[in-house]
Amino acid sequence: MKKLIIAVVASIFSFSAMADGHADWWKKAGAPYAGTVLQGVAENTPPGQFAGEVIAKEFEALTGIKVQLENTSWDQMYDKAIKDMEANSGIYDFVYIEQDIVYDYLNRDFLVNITEGLANNPDLQAPGVSLDDFTTFIDYFKDGSGDVFGIPMEAFIKVYLYRKDLFGRADAKAQFRSQYGYGLAPATSFDQWRDNAEFFTHFCAEQGMECWGTTVQGHTGHPASTYEFLESIAPSFGLYNWGVNMDNYQSCVENGGQLNGGRAKAALNFWTQLLPFAPPEALQSTWSEVGSSFAAGRAAQGWVYGENAAWIATDAEKSAVVGKVGVMLPPTAPGVMTQAASGNGYIGYFDGGAYGIPHSSKNKEATMLWLQYVALNDHQADWAIAGGRITHKDTYADAKVMAVDEQADGYFSLMRDTGFLYAGAPPFPFHGAGRGAIDPFIYSALAGEMTPEEALDGACQALDQVMADLGYQG
Amino acid sequence: MLCLLFFMFSNNRNAWLLLSPTILILIIVGLVPFFYVLYVGFFKWNPLAVDPSMQFEGFGFNYRRLIFDDVFLASIWRSIKFSVVTLFFELSLGFILALSLLSSFPLKSFFRGVHTLPLVIAPIVVGSIFKLFTVQGLGPLPHLLKDYFGYTLNYGLNADQAFWMIVIMDIWHWTPFVTLTLLAGLSALPQDPYESAKIDGANNFQIFTYITIPMMVPVLIVVIFIRLMDSLKIVDEVWMLTGGGPGYATRFTGIHIWKEVFEKRYYGLGSAMSILYLYITIVICWLLYSVMVSRGKNED
Repeated sequence: MKKLIIAVVASIFSFSAMADGHADWWKKAGAPYAGTVLQGVAENTPPGQFAGEVIAKEFEALTGIKVQLENTSWDQMYDKAIKDMEANSGIYDFVYIEQDIVYDYLNRDFLVNITEGLANNPDLQAPGVSLDDFTTFIDYFKDGSGDVFGIPMEAFIKVYLYRKDLFGRADAKAQFRSQYGYGLAPATSFDQWRDNAEFFTHFCAEQGMECWGTTVQGHTGHPASTYEFLESIAPSFGLYNWGVNMDNYQSCVENGGQLNGGRAKAALNFWTQLLPFAPPEALQSTWSEVGSSFAAGRAAQGWVYGENAAWIATDAEKSAVVGKVGVMLPPTAPGVMTQAASGNGYIGYFDGGAYGIPHSSKNKEATMLWLQYVALNDHQADWAIAGGRITHKDTYADAKVMAVDEQADGYFSLMRDTGFLYAGAPPFPFHGAGRGAIDPFIYSALAGEMTPEEALDGACQALDQVMADLGYQG
Repeated sequence: MLCLLFFMFSNNRNAWLLLSPTILILIIVGLVPFFYVLYVGFFKWNPLAVDPSMQFEGFGFNYRRLIFDDVFLASIWRSIKFSVVTLFFELSLGFILALSLLSSFPLKSFFRGVHTLPLVIAPIVVGSIFKLFTVQGLGPLPHLLKDYFGYTLNYGLNADQAFWMIVIMDIWHWTPFVTLTLLAGLSALPQDPYESAKIDGANNFQIFTYITIPMMVPVLIVVIFIRLMDSLKIVDEVWMLTGGGPGYATRFTGIHIWKEVFEKRYYGLGSAMSILYLYITIVICWLLYSVMVSRGKNED
């Protein structure tokens, strides 16, 4: 919080130096819209908080356009944005577009074509802003003709986080070797992950420490667990695109899909078998709680979203494990890394989102200015440090970012060098409906009410039913 | 329009004029949405579909599907079970508390004030409070139960615990409403029958059974109806505490409809669910009303 306040104060006093040295242009461009209030809705994440508390205030000081960013829960964000766009009520001038929902929004023509909008209004084109500065993550927010419908504001990979201090303890190493017959190390295979998890659960208990062997994002009533399985666990076992056959939109093995195939079942078995070694809150944990659990020192290793990785590793006000965090790629099944490297697969989720303008917005021109301000290079480094996200190619080379990268065991470097191995969600316009059909089966598998095999057999049938209902199977 | 007709042909035009804003608002916020939902319920409509338009496939299309929808039917049964259980406990506890509050005891006003507090808390906040209190790893309750009784509370894993946790939450939230309503009814009862009964030598149990309960039937009917209708449509607290899980364990009909409509975007099917559930609620209430009224007549 202290860092955020300092950033706000510093940025307000230095706003004239901001805007990539084009402060006069911003003042002039914003003058016709001075006093306008732009309403936005986004998920309450560290990058979202930075946008609302720092960048929006700079923008207002410079242009006179006020930005009210409503950072709320993931569920509420979708609920509010979609209802507003469906009803065409125009409450929000910009909305957060999560990477996995963009195909739905584009399919329903919710969003303004930003490329076209700027081309038609040359006066609104800000100097120093180029869409070419973005990493390839911006491609997720383009349509077939390459036009941009969302300005990326966060992008990060899901990494394997582990506790260097625990893995480095001499007594732990000796005990592990005597029990398992090989050396204690961060997991590079799923068997090793399981052994580590089992070992540290017992080791921590023996040492009187409140920690467990692994995180599990296993909420039994929230889609976070389905996402964890479909976007992180399953791809690392070689199951891509939810196991849906992209040619016929079938997901059951008997119809050409893979959702109840061997890889999927191996993945779900592996994941559910980690539960005895996870903190007791695992079955009520979404991505936020997993980050908090790890930051509180309650897990030795785990899959953690990158937006949390940086602050867990560096922010001593919020994290009890600063300086003790190691970052690596998660383990993968044989062949998966090769497939990912050749573009025929992926090892995990490249998460992130963008700000887009709904057609219903009543202040499209002023919002175009705001989105371009978001895209300026000036604040990218501070934003990366505050939110663990990088959307611009040059940000990786910034001195401040490199310093944090060192503290965070090379998290940013890892994202730069291996980001191509990750992928966003598959291009399903029926994303929400499909995931909603799978949810109860994943919940049941986690709660032990179904075996992983039963759950995936049921899930693929439910998903196939949805795709048939919605007309995707022809 | 109806208002206008009454206004034109009524002898009491001033009264209709004064009522017309209220009637207009009721039509706009009550009848129009109802008929719209009824209308949408006849269509196959999901904006995520290849064809996102509303398609009419017969009046019974969605309703036929619902009759064979195990998850929906199970959610109705779950909601009814939940309502019956909570109603039983809330009525029993509420009656005991209301009778206690009729008598004098030290700090009675303070107790009554504290006891009423849950009523002023929004359902979503009640869900949050219970979550913070009971969530594994963070909440104090699982620790206390484990440390002192060796009992593991983990409703993310245990379906029965999840169901009963929501029952307890609902009882905590709504028993004060039952208490206050019954207290108002008890305070208004005439004293003559009690005095006559005491003179005739009736004991407290007989007085309660043969005088208090029969005289309280109208109040009880009101309380039962309000609580029954409320508990059948529970959403907020459940959404916050368990999200409907684990699995389907706490997926009550309100939650199920919400997930179908807002997560999966089945607008037509979800509308049909809402209408069917409304119909079932009305039938349950009508049956209950008929039973209670006929029993009341028999006792007279």
